[in-house]
Amino acid sequence: MKRTTVWSRPSTRVAVVTLAIFFLGALFAPVVAPYNPTAQPDIVALKDLPPSVAHPFGTDPYSRDVLSRVVYGARLSMGIGFLATLISVTLGVAYGAMSGLAGGFVDAVMMRVLDAFMAIPRLLLLIALLAAWHSLPITTLILFLGFTGWFSLSRIVRGQVLALKESEFVMAARAIGANRGRIVVTHLLPNLYSVIVVAATLGFAHVIVLEAGLSYLGIGVPQPLASWGNIIQDGAENVSGLWWLSLFPGLALLAAVIALNTLGERIRETFQSTR
Amino acid sequence: MSDNGALLSVKNLRKEFPIRKGLLSRQVGAVKAVNDVSFDIARGETLGVVGESGCGKTTAGRSILRLIEPTAGEILFEGKDVRALDTSGLRAVRRDMQIIFQDPVSSLNPRMTVGAIIREGLTIHKLAEGSAADARVSQLLDEVGLRPEHRTRYPHEFSGGQRQRIGIARALSVEPKFIVCDEPVSALDVSVQAQVINLLQDLQREHNLTYMFIAHDLSVVQHIADRVAVMYLGRIVELAPAEALYREPLMPYTQALLSAVPVANPAVKKQRIILQGDVPSPAKLPPGCVFHPRCHHPAKDVACTKIIPPLEAKAEGHFVACIKQPPTQVSWEQQQQAGGTKPPERYLPTAALR
Amino acid sequence: MTEPLLSIQDLRTYFHTSAGVARSVDGVSFDVGAGEMLGIVGESGCGKSVTALSILRLIQPPGRIEPGSHIIFEGKDLATVSEEDIRGVRGNRISMIFQEPMSALNPVFNVGDQVAEVARIHEGLSKKAAFARAVETLALTGIPAPAERAKEYPHQLSGGMRQRVLIAMALMMKPALIIADEPTTALDVTIQAQILDLLRDLQSRFNTSVLMITHDLGVIAETTSRVIVMYAGEVVEESPVEGLFAAAHHPYTEGLMHAMPQIGHERDRLNVIPGTVPAPTDWPHGCRFRDRCPYSWELCGRDHPPLYQIGVGHVSRCHLAIEPERRNHPHPPLVVQQGVAVA
Repeated sequence: MKRTTVWSRPSTRVAVVTLAIFFLGALFAPVVAPYNPTAQPDIVALKDLPPSVAHPFGTDPYSRDVLSRVVYGARLSMGIGFLATLISVTLGVAYGAMSGLAGGFVDAVMMRVLDAFMAIPRLLLLIALLAAWHSLPITTLILFLGFTGWFSLSRIVRGQVLALKESEFVMAARAIGANRGRIVVTHLLPNLYSVIVVAATLGFAHVIVLEAGLSYLGIGVPQPLASWGNIIQDGAENVSGLWWLSLFPGLALLAAVIALNTLGERIRETFQSTR
Repeated sequence: MSDNGALLSVKNLRKEFPIRKGLLSRQVGAVKAVNDVSFDIARGETLGVVGESGCGKTTAGRSILRLIEPTAGEILFEGKDVRALDTSGLRAVRRDMQIIFQDPVSSLNPRMTVGAIIREGLTIHKLAEGSAADARVSQLLDEVGLRPEHRTRYPHEFSGGQRQRIGIARALSVEPKFIVCDEPVSALDVSVQAQVINLLQDLQREHNLTYMFIAHDLSVVQHIADRVAVMYLGRIVELAPAEALYREPLMPYTQALLSAVPVANPAVKKQRIILQGDVPSPAKLPPGCVFHPRCHHPAKDVACTKIIPPLEAKAEGHFVACIKQPPTQVSWEQQQQAGGTKPPERYLPTAALR
Repeated sequence: MTEPLLSIQDLRTYFHTSAGVARSVDGVSFDVGAGEMLGIVGESGCGKSVTALSILRLIQPPGRIEPGSHIIFEGKDLATVSEEDIRGVRGNRISMIFQEPMSALNPVFNVGDQVAEVARIHEGLSKKAAFARAVETLALTGIPAPAERAKEYPHQLSGGMRQRVLIAMALMMKPALIIADEPTTALDVTIQAQILDLLRDLQSRFNTSVLMITHDLGVIAETTSRVIVMYAGEVVEESPVEGLFAAAHHPYTEGLMHAMPQIGHERDRLNVIPGTVPAPTDWPHGCRFRDRCPYSWELCGRDHPPLYQIGVGHVSRCHLAIEPERRNHPHPPLVVQQGVAVA
């Protein structure tokens, strides 16, 4: 029988290749980037240059090379996104699975607590945090994004666990003598992979956008460090004149998000087809 | 019903599901899914359990294996009190008591290979390891009519009948004595259904298995069962040797059930007892006899709404829960005290007969 | 013979998938007479449901009704009429009852509105008038207190009640033909009896034709007057119902009848049809039942059997029609001889 795999769709390959380029670029930023991203070689002569051979993405008002900043920006933007997603997925899966496995009263209480969390807008928390810091240190930013991003995933995981717990194959495993640990490891978790992987890719994309938004507002990654968000912000004041400044990091952001979303969708479809 | 020679003896089994409502899931009521059910199954016997959806037959089967925790009652398996077992004791007894499910799709873990599914029991109970386990898996696959090379495939690559065979192989892997067959052929096509029924019968003979065969299809149960229990709204309303039940169904519900089965013979234009309305909700059981709102027994009266009919012998080995079918322990005087106006009278309409 | 109400000629519905072309319905022809209750029986994958969906052109891509197929109904060929014309037929002149009454109803509307919707689409009735008619139609299907029930939502009704709602929906426009696709399969046997009674009663009262699609020979025997047996995308036998049950000709029909346990017939073992239905992407050459057949011989592997005339209105797609004495000498079918595992 012919099986649909993730690979059988060209869109998947495009997405994976795009993401691989970004990841490798971020990882080897010092090698890939032609200049030091924070260096201001000649703030008069080299500022605001449009794209050229020497500066393919142009330069900014401080004469910094935009390509180098975008490459290093990928490092920060994607790194923050990755770590924050790691935190939120771990928390979401753990909380959701615990709630679903416990069931009954414990589950009800855990879900009401979750409701309470979800009722607090992220922005409000952020304002509270900004009262403590002027601009967020990057670790705090990661923790903030991670700790506020797991609610909906834990909901989904809990729902899945509740359904799986009652499924006949789990009952069959219990009937054959499997203990709780075995049921969780061999019967529940493998069936949660699809949900987790999909949620992680989509969450990753979401966090990248969020970080860009925060940096754009000037409360994310502080200058002179480069993230896609604050590069876009650099150009925001003069979009018509310095279009290259916002366009390239914007495109990078767009490409990364589309690639992640596509990949998430494809993975979802593939898991569904093997049900 | 005595304990003599019974492999499994179930007494006054009850299972209630709480109905929860509100912010913190407080219990506001209960669904009496299994309501005071007692029966024995002898070694090597097949007890058929029939009834319509929601009658509690599946819950009863699962409660016996403690896949669902029963609310009350006694379950004796080879004299052991199953309800008193701790986790490890229960795990040990599950080698002897297995289950085959109805749905060939949801009863197999989609992320495990067929080999891994069948092997799981061997690993858990330390029955075989390594190449010995491989050999055993192949042997089991062969026994249920599949090929050894199927072990590396995933459940979704198989047809419904083949998946059901995988489920059977899984149950057999731990060499059980007793298997609850929970509607194992309901989801299958007629010709495949026949293959699986024959397989189950062959395995029963070869391994001296005891079956509790749950089904909604009366013709399948007649074919495979030695004795049949008919359930309605959580209770056993009739329990008799298969032959007697089909020849002389005494509970008015059984009569209606039998008359409703379509006959594959257009020459027979049979009469039919059409039951009025739907099965009441198990959360709001009718008082007295649970069947009285739909009953067509001519002697039905107020007493039926007051007295819970005991499951009592009407003939040798033929138990019926109806105070209007003589003989009955609930005397006519008692029935009159409860408001009864029509004395018990034997009722066996021709529509119920084949 | 009078003009049939529906005449299906050489219907072929193929699914063009990445795994190949699945010829789910492969050259099916039959007529449905006015006021007739015709049964189609067969197992999963035989093409009976795809046939039903094809009549109303409810086939979704990658499925397609192939050119050359004709579905003649009231002077029009439904296989080729415009999308607008077919919409005018659906739910109006031909309506359909599905197997799973829960998923066929929309959970967010009350059942009265859903039944009324049909009349609003096809007759442009006002909301109030359509609802009143819906209540009347619900009453026809034996729903107690239809005015109150009409205001309830699908989840508040039992399975049997939901099926009555679907039947009411199908009856709203007094259609010429009702296609009932496994209408009682999801129901309990006592409820099934109620629904079959209702369908029979409505059919005789309104002289509606009914195409009853089922896997259950008992349902066929009790409701229909003529039967079509389908196997592997084809009609393999067609007969008046009495003739079929008295003397099934095709080995598949015969096997199906013997595989079914029946109350009052004691048998130690059920007869089985060994093997499985072949894949629709890969129908065998010659007779499609050959590998599973206890009578097959070399002709069956060579020539695809036509529908042979067996009796009055009785045809069978089996070469035994020309060599009937072979029926006395059954042999183990090929699938068993070759040691292929049964499924």
